[in-house]
Amino acid sequence: MDFNIITPVTVKELLGTMKKFQKKKFRFGAGCTDLLMELKRNPEENLTVINLSRVKDPLFTGIKKSAAGFRFGAMLTAHKIMVNEEIRNNFKVLHEAAESLASTQIRQVATVGGNVCTASPSGDMACALVALEADCEILGITGKKGMVPITGFFTGVRKTVLKKNELLCGIFVPAKNKKSKNIYSGFVKIGTRQSMECSVVSLAYHIQADAGGKIIHAGVAIGSSAPTIRFAEDAAHYLVGKKFENISVNERKEFAARVLTYATPIDDLRATAWYRKEVLFNISKAIFENDAKNSR
Amino acid sequence: MKKNLKVIGKPIPKHDARSRITGEAVYGHDIVLPHMLHGVILRTEHPSAIIESIDVSAAKKLPGVVCVITADDVDVNNISYKRDHPILKKNEVNCIRDEIAAVAAETKEIARQALKLIKVKYKIRKGIYDPHEALKKDAPQINKFIGGKFSNKNIAETFHYEHGNLAEEKKKSAVTITRRFTLPRVTHACMATSNITAHYTKTDKKLLLYSSTQVPFLYQRDMAHALKMNPSDIRIIQPVIGGGFGSKLDMYPFEPICALLSIKTGRPVQILYSREEEFIASPTRQPMIIDLTVGADAKGNFTFREINIIKDNGAYTSWGATTPFVIMQAFSSLYKIPACCFDAMAVYTNNVFAGSFRGYGNPQATFALERMIDLLADELGMGKAEIRLLNANEKGEVTGQGLHYETCGHKECLETVIAKSHFKKKKSPEKSGRYKRGIGLASMLHVGGGAKIYRSDGCGTTVKIDPYGFCTVITGSTEIGQGSETVLAMMAAEELGIDLNKIKIINTDTDVKPWDVGVHASRTSFVAGNSLLGAIKILKEKLNKKAAQLLNTNDSYFDYENGNIYLQNTNGGEPANAKKNSVLKKNSEIPDSSFVKLDKVVREMHFGEPNELAIASYFYEPSSKFQDKTFKGNVSGTYAFASQSIEVEVDTYTGNVKVLDIYVAQDVGKVLNPLLLDGQIEGGILQGVGYALSEELLVKEGRILNPNFHNYKMLTAADIPNIHFYPVETNDKQGPYGAKGVGEAPLIPTAAAIANAVCNALAIELLDLPVTPEKILKALAEKEKLKKQTV
Ligand SMILES: Cc1cc2nc3c(=O)[nH]c(=O)nc-3n(C[C@H](O)[C@H](O)[C@H](O)COP(=O)(O)OP(=O)(O)OC[C@H]3O[C@@H](n4cnc5c(N)ncnc54)[C@H](O)[C@@H]3O)c2cc1C
Repeated sequence: MDFNIITPVTVKELLGTMKKFQKKKFRFGAGCTDLLMELKRNPEENLTVINLSRVKDPLFTGIKKSAAGFRFGAMLTAHKIMVNEEIRNNFKVLHEAAESLASTQIRQVATVGGNVCTASPSGDMACALVALEADCEILGITGKKGMVPITGFFTGVRKTVLKKNELLCGIFVPAKNKKSKNIYSGFVKIGTRQSMECSVVSLAYHIQADAGGKIIHAGVAIGSSAPTIRFAEDAAHYLVGKKFENISVNERKEFAARVLTYATPIDDLRATAWYRKEVLFNISKAIFENDAKNSR
Repeated sequence: MKKNLKVIGKPIPKHDARSRITGEAVYGHDIVLPHMLHGVILRTEHPSAIIESIDVSAAKKLPGVVCVITADDVDVNNISYKRDHPILKKNEVNCIRDEIAAVAAETKEIARQALKLIKVKYKIRKGIYDPHEALKKDAPQINKFIGGKFSNKNIAETFHYEHGNLAEEKKKSAVTITRRFTLPRVTHACMATSNITAHYTKTDKKLLLYSSTQVPFLYQRDMAHALKMNPSDIRIIQPVIGGGFGSKLDMYPFEPICALLSIKTGRPVQILYSREEEFIASPTRQPMIIDLTVGADAKGNFTFREINIIKDNGAYTSWGATTPFVIMQAFSSLYKIPACCFDAMAVYTNNVFAGSFRGYGNPQATFALERMIDLLADELGMGKAEIRLLNANEKGEVTGQGLHYETCGHKECLETVIAKSHFKKKKSPEKSGRYKRGIGLASMLHVGGGAKIYRSDGCGTTVKIDPYGFCTVITGSTEIGQGSETVLAMMAAEELGIDLNKIKIINTDTDVKPWDVGVHASRTSFVAGNSLLGAIKILKEKLNKKAAQLLNTNDSYFDYENGNIYLQNTNGGEPANAKKNSVLKKNSEIPDSSFVKLDKVVREMHFGEPNELAIASYFYEPSSKFQDKTFKGNVSGTYAFASQSIEVEVDTYTGNVKVLDIYVAQDVGKVLNPLLLDGQIEGGILQGVGYALSEELLVKEGRILNPNFHNYKMLTAADIPNIHFYPVETNDKQGPYGAKGVGEAPLIPTAAAIANAVCNALAIELLDLPVTPEKILKALAEKEKLKKQTV
């Protein structure tokens, strides 16, 4: 593993560097927790890593709340997401996903942007962001910004819509529905270890209900169950109009069955497809049980 | 021995804790020598193939490459316990670890680049990866270096043991149960990867090795045999060792390869494994299939055990093939058992070869045995605690195999964990709900005073005191992180009455330290401790003589405390404590006829007539006996017992098992240092939990599928359950201060107790490890299916 590193410190420098390297081989490095592993596996010759970790600009590191929603920079670390009170109070699913990522040490450097851009089907924060129906804010080489819904951001295993002259600068999470008074939000990660674990399957949900407990909006996403993280739209729709507390055993099963239609898991070293489906079904219906959280 | 212990039994932190934590400690990876080269090894691409040709010419031409060797370039002997393992492979490869060539270069990068330039032509063969396949008549011979000794060409080693009248005991049995248990391949995953630095000096033809071996003196001899050298021309220095757990009991090809590269180049050469290489090329615990039949009479008394074990040896034979020594002990002697018939064989395959690992076969044996006791209890309608207590071992017992339990804490261990865990209250789990709790019990027996397998199970020690009152202990034993240095220093401090920080331990150099068989079999505190105490006794006789002379007395009874030697009040047999205290209060400058300073005594010995050194050496050999040809005899100085009661909670939605509480009682003889003991217990238990639930080196057609921590599920600090530890002190008169070996025991019964707890929670039958979430969900699904069919 051998590469050059360039460390821009302003957005201008960053865009300048990107321009310079359009005809050469380069990769972005944020926390580098995925990148180094990848380069170790598949070393590339004459590679330059554009190090994003010193770009001190709110565009990449800021958190801003507005009436429309919550915007945070792509360079926010899992640790910063985990300790953010606003996120904990309003988007528990993201808080829990960040908290479940790797270990204390890795969370200090692993970024949310890296988690999204690595486009792994098992990305924890990415899965939560899909359930939250977040938008990806993309910065072009010319300085122009654009928005892509996160569900459209992933195009395959470790593939995204990003072009060589673009990068992810921020994430936008839309504010909750005005009528929303009760939020049922959580992240369920299934694996063997308590830390340093990559999910065998994961389920993210963010369900909003009105004052009477009636569900007015739902977002459900599954990880490690298909080539990309999937938004289980049909399952989410199924919930709308129902009272969260009154969802019957049969309705839970119907919901879980609908979640499962989005799953096309594979057999791999960590689990068989059979196991992934069984567990996904079980944890989906368990959202509505008292002990919804996995015990581990 | 002293009655009022001042140091022994105190929670004294490991003396090397700071240097290890701060990074000051020098591990093998930290060694840099002038002009040092970096060695790398080319391993086979196929687990079973004919080597048609090896072309190293391009690699040799690469600038920065100093030396490339293949089997044709070296004149060496085979290595391994059975001498069935060529250091570099020629003509054929039989295992994915096989070493074909090695490169020494100026940098690691160049060396790795050179590997890519070596061209090997293979003719791929169909390998044999299942020991049962290997035993078939038409199977080809896998290892060509031994053979003909056994009934089948692919058998590497066999063991047969029996005691009692099997037929009679079968007749007495009210219940008989037969099951097959399957145990996985797990690996040590030491924090420090395998490493060696070799430095051959051409002028004097001597070889210096910086090696992490656990058995420096056996290693020196093995290395000499491999390289056709004189053992005394090889000096082994052990840097700080980053984990052993049995993995460094054997010598592996990379070690003589590194020596050969240094011999060829006349420059120091270092080989360091990457983590991936460590997973692929370092040894594993034996995977095995255990066929077990057991019986009990109507009252629940055990009657017999019949055992048949097939171990996957891999392509070569390590010390690991001798694990049946320990396995048969568990079957012959854990709980009272009138008859036992045991057969085990190690079978060659094209899989990676197994080595020795903490517990040495005992975790496998104990898993089968203790699972079976639960099945027996169920069949008899008896309590799982009751059946164990009824059959537990006792003090004074001489087992069918001839193990003599002069002390035995088995019953006390069982009673302790049963009471502390409220076992009897918890044993019937609730029937419904997503999370189900269960509780399981298991015990273990292990050698606690060394194991006489080699010609000597001894250890030598030299103790010297310098003119400043500091003591140097030169011990043959080895520190692999377990804390033996600290415990030995505590013993010296206790006996000589000097501060711990005045004690230095020298234990890393074969040119300096006296002989010792090595660190294994939980033997170091026991054997090296007794050896040290023996040396100190001799030294004290010398010091006492001089002290008597200086104090103008004919008495020969002295107390060593506070850096002084006190004359004992021998009239009443009571030490002159009152006097001593008054002395201390006085100005110590004032001469007192009742004591003299230790350093003064040493100076008077050194510099006064007749000039003499304050030094003494002792070799301790445990009282244990070699076993005879039928494997009978009292093989250890003493025996350790332990019981664990473990409560788990199973998530029936995911199959995940959460280990809630582990209650451990262990007969440790005597607690020498509670802090270090806790360390052994906690570390061992976590290794046991991993063995029970998550660890498995996955192998397909001889290739390792998960050579990384990502997919090899070793547990982390976050997974440690609540551990409640109750040491049981039986004060064995053989042990130093009454202590027994403790190192391996904590891991041995853990997997069995966890599996018993899971089965208790879910009413399923588990016969394999690890108990993965997937296996649990499958078992639950099958149970559900059966229920539907029977309705
Ligand atoms: C030991 C370990 C444990 C782990 N455990 C988990 C876990 O539990 N859950 C989990 O989800 N992940 C886990 N990971 C994966 C990884 O830590 C996360 O995906 C992390 O969020 C990646 O962030 P990073 O900043 O390190 O990304 P990097 O490695 O720096 O980048 C990842 C990829 O994204 C690209 N990239 C990064 N930032 C941008 C950007 N702003 N714009 C465009 N492209 C960009 C990079 O070029 C690279 O291809 C683990 C990794 C390790 C090493």
